[in-house]
Amino acid sequence: MDGNKAIAISRNKQDRTKKLIEIGIVSSLVIIFAVILPIILPAFRLRLLGRFLSLAIVALGIDLIWGYTGLLSLGHGIFFGLGGYALAMHLKLQLPEGQLPDFFNLYGVKELPWFWQPFNSFPFTLIALFLIPGIVAALLGYLVFRNRIKGVYFSIITQAALLVFFNFFNGQQKLINGTNGLKTDTEKIFDIFVGSSGIQRSVYIVTVIAVVLIFYLCKWLTSGRFGRLLLAIRDDETRVRFSGYDPTGYKVLVFAVSGAIAGLAGALYTVQTGIITPSVMNVAFSIEMVIWVAVGGRGTLIGAIIGTLIVRLAQTFLSERFPEVWLFFQGALFLIVVTVLPEGLVGWWREFAWQKVRSLFGKKQVVTYPSIDQDLAVQREKQQFEDAD
Amino acid sequence: MSNNILEIQDLTVSFDGFKALDNLNFSMRPGEMRVIIGPNGAGKTTFLDVITGKVQPTQGRVLFNGKNLRNTPEFKIARMGIGRKFQTPRVYLNLTVRDNLDLVCNRNKNVFSTLFNKPKKDDQRTVGGLLETVGLTAKANAKAALLSHGEKQRLEIGMLVAQSPELLLVDEPAAGLTDEETENVGSLLLALAESHTIIAIEHDMEFVKQIATEKVTVLHQGSVLCDGSMDEIQNDPRVIEVYLGEAPSISAEQMNMIRICASMAWADNNFAPEQLEVILTNLSQEFASSQDHQVSLQRELQNYLARKIPLEQLVPKVKNAKDKERVLRLSYEIIRSNQINSQEIVVYQNLLRLLDLPTKVVQKIEQEIEAKYSN
Repeated sequence: MDGNKAIAISRNKQDRTKKLIEIGIVSSLVIIFAVILPIILPAFRLRLLGRFLSLAIVALGIDLIWGYTGLLSLGHGIFFGLGGYALAMHLKLQLPEGQLPDFFNLYGVKELPWFWQPFNSFPFTLIALFLIPGIVAALLGYLVFRNRIKGVYFSIITQAALLVFFNFFNGQQKLINGTNGLKTDTEKIFDIFVGSSGIQRSVYIVTVIAVVLIFYLCKWLTSGRFGRLLLAIRDDETRVRFSGYDPTGYKVLVFAVSGAIAGLAGALYTVQTGIITPSVMNVAFSIEMVIWVAVGGRGTLIGAIIGTLIVRLAQTFLSERFPEVWLFFQGALFLIVVTVLPEGLVGWWREFAWQKVRSLFGKKQVVTYPSIDQDLAVQREKQQFEDAD
Repeated sequence: MSNNILEIQDLTVSFDGFKALDNLNFSMRPGEMRVIIGPNGAGKTTFLDVITGKVQPTQGRVLFNGKNLRNTPEFKIARMGIGRKFQTPRVYLNLTVRDNLDLVCNRNKNVFSTLFNKPKKDDQRTVGGLLETVGLTAKANAKAALLSHGEKQRLEIGMLVAQSPELLLVDEPAAGLTDEETENVGSLLLALAESHTIIAIEHDMEFVKQIATEKVTVLHQGSVLCDGSMDEIQNDPRVIEVYLGEAPSISAEQMNMIRICASMAWADNNFAPEQLEVILTNLSQEFASSQDHQVSLQRELQNYLARKIPLEQLVPKVKNAKDKERVLRLSYEIIRSNQINSQEIVVYQNLLRLLDLPTKVVQKIEQEIEAKYSN
């Protein structure tokens, strides 16, 4: 019994040191991103980085539904787009009383469509930009999951839904300016132009904070019983059902949360891009989102962020240096990850590289499975054997 | 009737016209340990599928504690208290052994209470106890993917118990296990049977013998062929037919008689050729309908002579006086055919006591046989 207690205490100690290290790393990263980088990077670069960080937020959402719950969604562009449009509509309405956003005049619309009305209110917009995508995801998810559609069929259905949304937004000139999209840079928020460097810098800092908050939200969701149940659903849904859980509710909730996260990301991305068009709902973009997660490592939240930043930064770097052939490099990067690093960069680091680094510094290498080898009870037993000899 | 934990009435399940279960009736009292056997394709797994709601019955109904289970989704049936173990172990490979048990232990399985409620101290204690029961305490923090096949089987049984179901359905728990592991799983099931109602489906007859302490039900072509104790089942000509694939052409009474003969012949643990001769000629003459039949029957009867079953189980089934006399006549002739020895006398005395015939009749029969052999 005493031995067990000692083990429990030393485990707690290990956990505490781990937590301290994690807090240290996160806070120093926040300082680097939110304080140092805005000083040293030119405004254009900073804006680019802010866009990448908002894309990292979608990746977190996709990791939640794909990496943890095992449902590959190819339709996250819907939720991303909905969030972006929600905020853009609010910005478009920052006009003197009685005026309509300019594009309405082109199509001869005299009155503001009914669904634009509530977007006059800033608090409503703030809630809507993640609630609307969340509700759409919940409805779509409920219909799909209740009928036990999963695997490839789920992916196909999400992609089909994406096409429906794309065509709708693309074709409705009179409602949301169709294929031209909504420009936000020249609109005003708090009486300042959205494109101005002050607003852009604040949005950048909001984005950094949002990444941290969403990271911890996802972390909270994926730890504890709920998170373990998501893994259980991914590994064996039938078993989950026979254990007395109804997987439908869990999947709907996770899909909705994932959609809401994408909505928030879409809003932040739109402000830092200056425009939202239906092209964020095209098929290729949604697939790219999945690739970020695959590159970083499925089922690891930090992997989703790292994957997005690496792929996007590489795109920027390569397209500037090798404008003619950069797409080939990008293709090669994806091929390498899929064939050589099926667990993604973070997975590879955890499974392989970390051990190598440790052994370079003379640390003991784990011989069998880490969970068994590092178990204190096992180590104690081993010690007893060695003492007996 | 109403206090049966499980009641299945006229259950038929057909897949595109193929009847996997055909008019099956079954019932079970609380606390029972029932083993279901049957050849491949007898409908054993479909039987469990219907109880757990995976497959809907085409006709008939399944009552659990008096409640009809039709159109109840699987997770609700599980919450009502029916736990199921699958044929191949299904555990969550990417979770630790402890987490596997903890997930099932969770009392309130709604989405939001799972998300917001902290695991209770009680649950932790239950998990600790279960780890000990299934013998996996040392591996509690290892991923389930690292367990051996037998350990996975035990973990899954542990997960069933964690659900604290009233009724445990166990599908071929011994499949793919070594002899030692099989025995472990067997004793685990027997220990669980003390506090649970269990239905175990099994293929491996050795394992069935270990766990079948109560009733055994035989399924064949989607319906119940018969049920009874392990010994009754093994001697039932219909079961032998199903398992050996050949129909015994003799009735149950005749089968009983030949079993008694076999046990008499085995009394001194030595089945002499003379004894075989006596049994085969006498019985084949008695049972056969024609000359040809007699020959084929001799060959068939020989198959049934391999086992020695205690007379106490066999003799009471002989009801009328005529048959009792026949049994006595044959038995005496069997032991008389070669030298009667002391072991045979003990068994013979036992037989007399069990048959309980008047002394006069016994003497008369013995004299007849003696006369036949002294010539």
